[in-house]
Amino acid sequence: MPTIEVSHADLNNLVGRKLSLKQLEEDMLYTKGEIDGVDGDILKIDIKDTNRPDLWSAEGVAREIRFRYKPTHSDYKTKKSGVVVHVDPKLKDIRPYTACAVVRGLNITENALLQSIQLQEKVAGTFGKNRKEIAIGIYDLHKIKSPIRYTVTSPTGMKFAPLEFSKELTPKQILDQHPKGKEFGHLLNGMSYYPVFIDDAKEILSMPPIINSNHTGKVTEETHDVFIECSGFNLELLKTALNVIVVALADRGGRIETVDVVYDSKKLTMPDLTPKRFTVSPKYINRLSGLNLKNEEIKKLLERSGYKVLNNTMDVLYPAYRQDIMHQADIAEDVMITYGFNKIKPEMASLVTRGSMTSIETFSKKATDIMIGTGLQEVMSYILTNRDNLFTRMNMKTELVAEIENPMSINWSVFRNSLLPGLMEFLSQNTHREFPQKIFEIGDVVELHPKTETRTNDVRRLAVALSDTAFGYQTATEMLDFMMSSLGIAYKLVRTEHPSMIPGRAAKVVVKNKEIGLIGEIHAQVLNNWKLELPVAAFEIDLTSIC
Amino acid sequence: MYVLTHEGKKYLDSGLPEKRLVELLNTPMKISDVKKQLDDFNIGMTWAKKNKWIEIKEGKLCRTHLPKEIPEEAGLKLVAERKEPDENIANILLTRRLIDVERETISKKAEKFVGKEINTLTPELIKTGIWKKVKIKPYNVEAPVKKVYFGKRHPYNQFLSDVRQKLVEMGFKEMAGPLIELEFWNFDALYQAQGHPARDWTQTYSLKHPQIGDLPSQKIVSQVKATHENGWKTGSTGWGYKWDPKKAARLMPRAHDTAISPRYISGHSGKIEIPGKYFSLVRCFRPDVIDATHGVEFNQLGGIVIDESLTFRSLLGLLKMFVYETTGIEKVKFLSDYYPFTEPSVQVSAKHPKFGWLELAGAGIFRPELTEPLGVTEPVIAWGFGIDRLAMLKLGIKDIRHVFSRDIEWLRRQPCQQ
Repeated sequence: MPTIEVSHADLNNLVGRKLSLKQLEEDMLYTKGEIDGVDGDILKIDIKDTNRPDLWSAEGVAREIRFRYKPTHSDYKTKKSGVVVHVDPKLKDIRPYTACAVVRGLNITENALLQSIQLQEKVAGTFGKNRKEIAIGIYDLHKIKSPIRYTVTSPTGMKFAPLEFSKELTPKQILDQHPKGKEFGHLLNGMSYYPVFIDDAKEILSMPPIINSNHTGKVTEETHDVFIECSGFNLELLKTALNVIVVALADRGGRIETVDVVYDSKKLTMPDLTPKRFTVSPKYINRLSGLNLKNEEIKKLLERSGYKVLNNTMDVLYPAYRQDIMHQADIAEDVMITYGFNKIKPEMASLVTRGSMTSIETFSKKATDIMIGTGLQEVMSYILTNRDNLFTRMNMKTELVAEIENPMSINWSVFRNSLLPGLMEFLSQNTHREFPQKIFEIGDVVELHPKTETRTNDVRRLAVALSDTAFGYQTATEMLDFMMSSLGIAYKLVRTEHPSMIPGRAAKVVVKNKEIGLIGEIHAQVLNNWKLELPVAAFEIDLTSIC
Repeated sequence: MYVLTHEGKKYLDSGLPEKRLVELLNTPMKISDVKKQLDDFNIGMTWAKKNKWIEIKEGKLCRTHLPKEIPEEAGLKLVAERKEPDENIANILLTRRLIDVERETISKKAEKFVGKEINTLTPELIKTGIWKKVKIKPYNVEAPVKKVYFGKRHPYNQFLSDVRQKLVEMGFKEMAGPLIELEFWNFDALYQAQGHPARDWTQTYSLKHPQIGDLPSQKIVSQVKATHENGWKTGSTGWGYKWDPKKAARLMPRAHDTAISPRYISGHSGKIEIPGKYFSLVRCFRPDVIDATHGVEFNQLGGIVIDESLTFRSLLGLLKMFVYETTGIEKVKFLSDYYPFTEPSVQVSAKHPKFGWLELAGAGIFRPELTEPLGVTEPVIAWGFGIDRLAMLKLGIKDIRHVFSRDIEWLRRQPCQQ
């Protein structure tokens, strides 16, 4: 969810109305936005729609609100700029596509500049996955000589001075030394060639997705005409990004001009701002909304949502910067938003249905009641843990467990395959508290299983840990016995050895000849590992298999 | 000091049953004949056998020994003379209920307390009635109470349990799905395009092991594929890209509870009933930076409602009811919202008397591109509750990390609900 900052006064200028903060808060619903903070004239706005980058600027928010006050269809005209960009096929596996445009006649105020920078950041950052899918460059058109080539250079090749640097560096040096090189260099890691834009005067404009050159890639309040390029891997995404950027500049008075981008022998003229066409059925809108709107009302609501209604069968045109419309449901939602969610009367559907819990939840609830009855405190642990807790501290050899590839912390990097380590950790976190400590947990563990659809099974387990000077094997068996007899399940204890348990004081819990758990006194080495000073008697059993 | 019981007196007069038995057996006799001649036959038999005075030969009872003196009888005589028999004998006689501890002794023990102030009301005082003649010392009944901790639920789990119960009462059926999920169910079946920002509306974990799972039936897969690529028969344009089954077969930690719904809608994990109301309350995993509003893991409550009659208006009604049932708040407002899998989407905020407007739940109507390839043409409302936020509200917790508290002292002291 992108958060943008806009000036309230600037927003009012763009809307063409003096909107109070209260009014603005309400109008923000048209943009799926919410004012999250106010600092003088600066408003912090959360825009919830991650599929509408056109809304991520003051210009975009203002445009959407403007429609509601003055139904107009945005129709952005373009002229030819004469600028040509040739795309090198060598970019195929590096960064193959670019979408480009020219905007002239800008009067770049401070607000306009800030918004433009913010929009580029949000589009490339949030929509473009931190420049991986979309990188955007804006240049002073007058410092560039067409035709421009989008091509490759070797890491040690052509030198240029990156933005805010006066010294010329090789591409590799830029990755190592420039702050943006350090931040985004990983996107070019391991490539033998880097992408660059070069103009006809052999001047390097930029090295996407890293940095512009200091000479051409600097836009200030004195800049009036700009060249814009977006580069990446998916041409449709790039076209969307380009449209979003140019219409925002056009809303500030800029004139959009097209650029010819040449791929091999194919020439594409961009940007393409021709409105797109869709057919909506009033019946569908009424069916989905539960409203009973007349065609005339729907037409008005569509127009107030930025659509141009072509005829009575509700063929509509919508602006080219919107790429989110795929189904008439998308248009129906706009109609409902413009109608006002809070004007729609909620209706209680009376559906006769029978409620129930899953059988394992019902069973777990019974087991919980019994454990509470024995005087135990219930505890909760995270399902994610680490190998040290699961194995090393439990005196066990590491086993293969489900493991996360990109953990936030090594502490929470694997899925637990048993509950006891979590209880031991709990005891180790509470050594300074009053004893006896008698705890239990009922929760899921993940077992690997090569034959199941997810290669894993979630198994509901119950674990108990009892810690006090006089607690031992007998204490644990009494608890287990009460549990099993209360559930009406016959079981046997069969002598076993387990690395976490004291030799000679551990048993398998067996139900109908199937091993369902382990009971015993925790090994002194394990107690040392967890820095526990009192003995612990414990058991863990599988509830799923006896449910 | 002992006294004879009623039975003890009888035997002192008539002789112990075992003695009478052996005396009768001058010649071997049939058991039935002995029974006729001897009352207390069973008692006599038990003790005579124990003392090895008799045996059974050819169906007849024979005497093997005729004792001259019987210690139990001597004991009874001593007691009758108010003398103490030997301890072993006294114990046997007590067990046989032939003698009893003299009531006077108990009384005497208790009598010491007459007129005095006592601390403890003993069985002797109660039995003898002497409690009437003593003063029971009053306590400082308002003194601070010693804290003792008995068995108790984790307050957060108690809360989750209550929520689950509430939903069942409202007629919702629980759905379940795996913690480690296929990208197919977490994303593709929810119409989130591969490699598109709409799939990355939230950060997700990926797995080092295991990595690849099994896609569902060919029918479901091909319909989902066609919908992503060109909209299939749903009236949608689709996303317009080449859908890759290999990506969909990848496994990941479940990132949201909504991953469970398409499993049921498609019939893959269970048959869905129409009309139907379903919920799931499950653990989910996202790589968030841990702070006061983001924990290592979180629980999500969500589900679906399905029926031919449903509209956006019924969705708003459902949300209003949820808010009322969980918080008792009636004043709500609806805000436009975005989820990649619902259109329209809406968020509900409730006006809390103390905390002001609170965002409580999000919902929407599943996109036709989601439901139709899974075989359902009826409208499906999808809803989700910020369950951890609600828990914090109910438990009076400000930092979400405390929801999973590991401090036994806090767990022992914390009320289960505020």
